[in-house]
Amino acid sequence: MKLISKILAATALAATVLPVTAQAQDGKKLRFVMVSHIGSNDPNMNWLTLALKEFQEKYPDVTTDYISTNNYSVQEHVRLLEQAISTRPDGIAVPIVSSDAFEGPLRRAIESGIPVVAFNIPDGRPDGERIPYVTYVGGDEYLTGEKLGEYAVAEAEAGHVPKPTRVVCASHDAAHEGLKQRCAGMRDAMAKVGAQFDELFIGAEPATARNTLQSYLSSHPDTNYIFTVAGWSAPWAWGVANDMGLDPDVDDKGVTVLTVDEGPVSIEGVRQGHVLATNSQGFWLQGYAPMEWLYWNIKFGYAPQQDILTGPIIIDKDNADHWAELVRGVFGEEAYNQQNTW
Amino acid sequence: MKQFVRSQSFGAVIGVTVMLIAFTVIDFSGWWNRSTLANVVQFSAILGLVAMGQALVIMTKEIDLSVGSVYGLTGVAFITLEPKLGVPGSTLAALAIAAAIGAFQGLVVVRGKLPSMIVTLAGLFAARGVIYVWTGGTVQNFSEAARNNWLTGLLGGQIFGIEAAIFWMVGLCLVLNVLLWGTRYGNRLLATGGSLDSAESRGVRTDHVKILAFMLCSLLAGFAGILTLADRPQTHVTLGDLMELEAIASAVIGGCLLTGGRGSLVGAVLGAFIIVSFRYELIALGAPSSWFTTFVGIVLIVAVIFNQYLARRAGHSV
Repeated sequence: MKLISKILAATALAATVLPVTAQAQDGKKLRFVMVSHIGSNDPNMNWLTLALKEFQEKYPDVTTDYISTNNYSVQEHVRLLEQAISTRPDGIAVPIVSSDAFEGPLRRAIESGIPVVAFNIPDGRPDGERIPYVTYVGGDEYLTGEKLGEYAVAEAEAGHVPKPTRVVCASHDAAHEGLKQRCAGMRDAMAKVGAQFDELFIGAEPATARNTLQSYLSSHPDTNYIFTVAGWSAPWAWGVANDMGLDPDVDDKGVTVLTVDEGPVSIEGVRQGHVLATNSQGFWLQGYAPMEWLYWNIKFGYAPQQDILTGPIIIDKDNADHWAELVRGVFGEEAYNQQNTW
Repeated sequence: MKQFVRSQSFGAVIGVTVMLIAFTVIDFSGWWNRSTLANVVQFSAILGLVAMGQALVIMTKEIDLSVGSVYGLTGVAFITLEPKLGVPGSTLAALAIAAAIGAFQGLVVVRGKLPSMIVTLAGLFAARGVIYVWTGGTVQNFSEAARNNWLTGLLGGQIFGIEAAIFWMVGLCLVLNVLLWGTRYGNRLLATGGSLDSAESRGVRTDHVKILAFMLCSLLAGFAGILTLADRPQTHVTLGDLMELEAIASAVIGGCLLTGGRGSLVGAVLGAFIIVSFRYELIALGAPSSWFTTFVGIVLIVAVIFNQYLARRAGHSV
């Protein structure tokens, strides 16, 4: 972690030292594309597009394009990636949602001289086998689950919340490797205190998800922690537990809800006492830092020797107000309030 | 008795009976308790409403793949328009949107002579896309005042301690059954699905019949979306995702034949009850929740074979 901190510090330092109006050597503007799995149906896209906008303001010799789809599938993502490569950009930032599916196009892009930075999701294979991108900038899904689990255990030991007996990880996508990793991290953290653990596929449809979760809670009455791997499903989990009289607010009895993300729903869940904690994986940095590394790689040949982790940071009742202020700045006051669905 | 055995919903009644016996034997205390039944019946009512609309369209020998997205779009419209129009206004506006989608799709199918599968598939994508664009990814909150509105309570609250959605489903099921079996429109709808040429030769305006069936289907899907959100307004842009498949499965399990002219609204509701019950019970018994998808596939095949057998015995050519 020390090394990562040093790298982050170096990143910040370099950002301030480099001339802000640097021009491409041949006078032509550079063009970077971010081919993302986060579409406009996910409010987290705001962090990334805002970061790209701010990057462009700081580096006027670069234009950035954000490409994504709302009807997500790996095949569709690969198609978008191949389209982006065919336009011959100067750099690409892409999440490695599937290392198998992305390997071919990305290796061809890298061999043709286009630098690639992975963001949000890394190639999970060992160093020698993974796609030879410049670096990875993003969170670590396993650490997200593990750190939230460890936080909950520490709070339980302090007597603020119940000791975990059974934990259910409610996931809306059974095939999403990142979500599985979040559950795995939580499972390992909870195993240290002997809690039972189940991963439950609830789906993304709200009524179906509630029906599924209620069935699980009815048949597993010893469940006292619900971990929703998306912020927007936290109110559903809380609502089901509340309807069943399981006392889901944050106190030393009943069910305790944990969730992820720094969106308004998650943060307001913490502030209103419905959710014990959530996390931030540094979405803004995941938009900004890949662009800077592409820029420095092209201009100066810089390439970090280690992945750059931008999270997780635990958001609890102590820092939720600060985060609320920050997120209001990104989403806007009106949008923030509208997106608080509690 | 003989008439009951020959009825379109007989297969679904047998299915429900077998299912209830199985659950009683396997998990008596888990299944026969108030909490379980309240949950299952409430969600069956929601899916049942969508399935009834789907059944009407299938009876005309068409299909509507857009119901999940229409359910989602109408629900989102109900929430999003509420600050400007109030709860009654947003309910009417949302239902108008649903009816307009149904009417448009019906018009394109009959006037364009296009397969309903393609037209409503386009509708599925278009409506879902509108949800994404309109909401920007997040469905906004439903204000405290709106949650306490009398109409919200009537749509999503409880009546005599029972979820309002159940009363709405039962009431609409009665009305639609009267429409189907007791009016000229119902007779024409079945005739249109049974034999289009024959119906037209007898002067039935099959185009009008189909357009109205699509409208009713979209309205029912939209109304189900409103009932869902009036009860629990915390939602997401995925509202209604893949619901069209469960609705079609419910209608088919309930005795609707894709060859048209035969089906049952009560059967569609029972089909929804079977689907929701199995999802609930599979999880309660500890099976991985994704097994449910496999289960629906198996039940669907068994139901089609069984319903076709029943239809042939009843003298229908299928």
